[in-house]
Amino acid sequence: MTKRTFLGAAVSACCLMLIAAGPASAADLLDEIMQAKKIRISTDVAIPPSGMMDASMKPTGSDVEVAQLLAKDWGFELEFIQTTGATRIPNVLTGKADIIISTLSVTPERAKVIDFTKRYATLQSDVGCLKSLNVKDWPDLKDKTIGVSRGTTQDTTLSNMKDKELKIARYDDDATEVTAAVSGQVDCVGTSATIINQIGVKNPARIFESKIPLATFDLAIGLKKGEQRLMDKLNAWITENVKNGKLNAIYKKFHGVDLPPDMRS
Amino acid sequence: MSLQLDFPAVLERWPSFLAGAVLTLELAAFSTVCGAVLGTLAAVGRGAHSALIAAACKIYVEAIRNTPLLVQIFLVYFGLASLGLKFSAFTVAVAALTINVGAYTAEIMRAGFEAIPRGQIEAAEGLALSRLQIYWHIILLPAIEKVYPALTSQFVLLMLASSVCSQISAEELTAVANYIQSDTYRAFETYIIVAVLYIILSLVMRAGFWGLGLVLFPRRRRLGTPL
Repeated sequence: MTKRTFLGAAVSACCLMLIAAGPASAADLLDEIMQAKKIRISTDVAIPPSGMMDASMKPTGSDVEVAQLLAKDWGFELEFIQTTGATRIPNVLTGKADIIISTLSVTPERAKVIDFTKRYATLQSDVGCLKSLNVKDWPDLKDKTIGVSRGTTQDTTLSNMKDKELKIARYDDDATEVTAAVSGQVDCVGTSATIINQIGVKNPARIFESKIPLATFDLAIGLKKGEQRLMDKLNAWITENVKNGKLNAIYKKFHGVDLPPDMRS
Repeated sequence: MSLQLDFPAVLERWPSFLAGAVLTLELAAFSTVCGAVLGTLAAVGRGAHSALIAAACKIYVEAIRNTPLLVQIFLVYFGLASLGLKFSAFTVAVAALTINVGAYTAEIMRAGFEAIPRGQIEAAEGLALSRLQIYWHIILLPAIEKVYPALTSQFVLLMLASSVCSQISAEELTAVANYIQSDTYRAFETYIIVAVLYIILSLVMRAGFWGLGLVLFPRRRRLGTPL
């Protein structure tokens, strides 16, 4: 997930160079949205459970519901601008979409290109193991193999823990890593808490649970730089919906876990 | 946009590249030896009197030659684990590559067997050589000599194909490259270096097979022609 993140940052940096020469719009983005009575939100619907298609091919998922809630609260029509991880940021930079709600984690590289609101959710990554394994702390992992997605932040973080003598098996993507855990090739994985919970859904004989926390990324709404009025309005909306618990409810519905305690009322 | 290549940033990871290249060579060496034996047995089996053995060998060869290597690797890696058998990624990679190259070797060896003139076998029978002697001296060794170039190119191909083992967490050359490029964001440089390393590995393997050929086939060395 984070490999995609960085690719996205790279692509968006390139695109920024391309559009830098283009004409700059003078009108405020919030005015434009109010006038059109429609908000265009860039969401990747191919990364369950944040964005996916349901049986009737309608978008669903935690990010999709956040977007729907926002449009409903503000009384605008909602248009999803379908995107991939790599094209999320270019979509708002080129004006194809107004904002991004698509598991966009806040990174310094991206903050150079776009503005971020406050966080509306988090992405927790953990070391998760078979539930039956007695793993409390790092020394318990010594003779276990930990499956990761090659090149992700989880891989880098674990690989840098040289003193802990961890055995790491690197797979090319999340799907292969999950299959390795489901089939029994590895009993531990380093990945997002959401994926750890999904392993048990795929194979009820092998329930995984988070054992040791690795890192937490903030997920925020992304928008073009310099749209202060829209930014203020979004931040106020996020504050309100963190407080009334709606954002937590959406997150829990799709990810099976609560947001961190400081984001719950 | 101008392209700027920064090789030093990637080349400073040379110990990783070296470890990857060594593992690739190890994968290739083990599976070449095992695959050559397996393939020869399968080729002999296809000509066996027992219809059952011949059919089994034929099914093996056709099943492997008509499925992708990556699928075979996943089948062995995840299949064995689902059955409760856990092996290291390296062992699984060698097993899958051996099964794969064995099928191709069997076909090449079969071509070699069929290229042996019937008259030579009849002549050997006329000289009262035993069946085993005939198989070894009149059929197998001359057949290997005839198809040696085709065999070596298959084994070099196998070494290149071993790059897909990165999928099952075998840390061979391509896996190392994938890791380095995702860490340094220097994808172009990384894959240029890896491509060059693969060329070097291929040349090393070809040189090795050439030397082995000189040792194995003295007649060819003297006369410069195959049998």
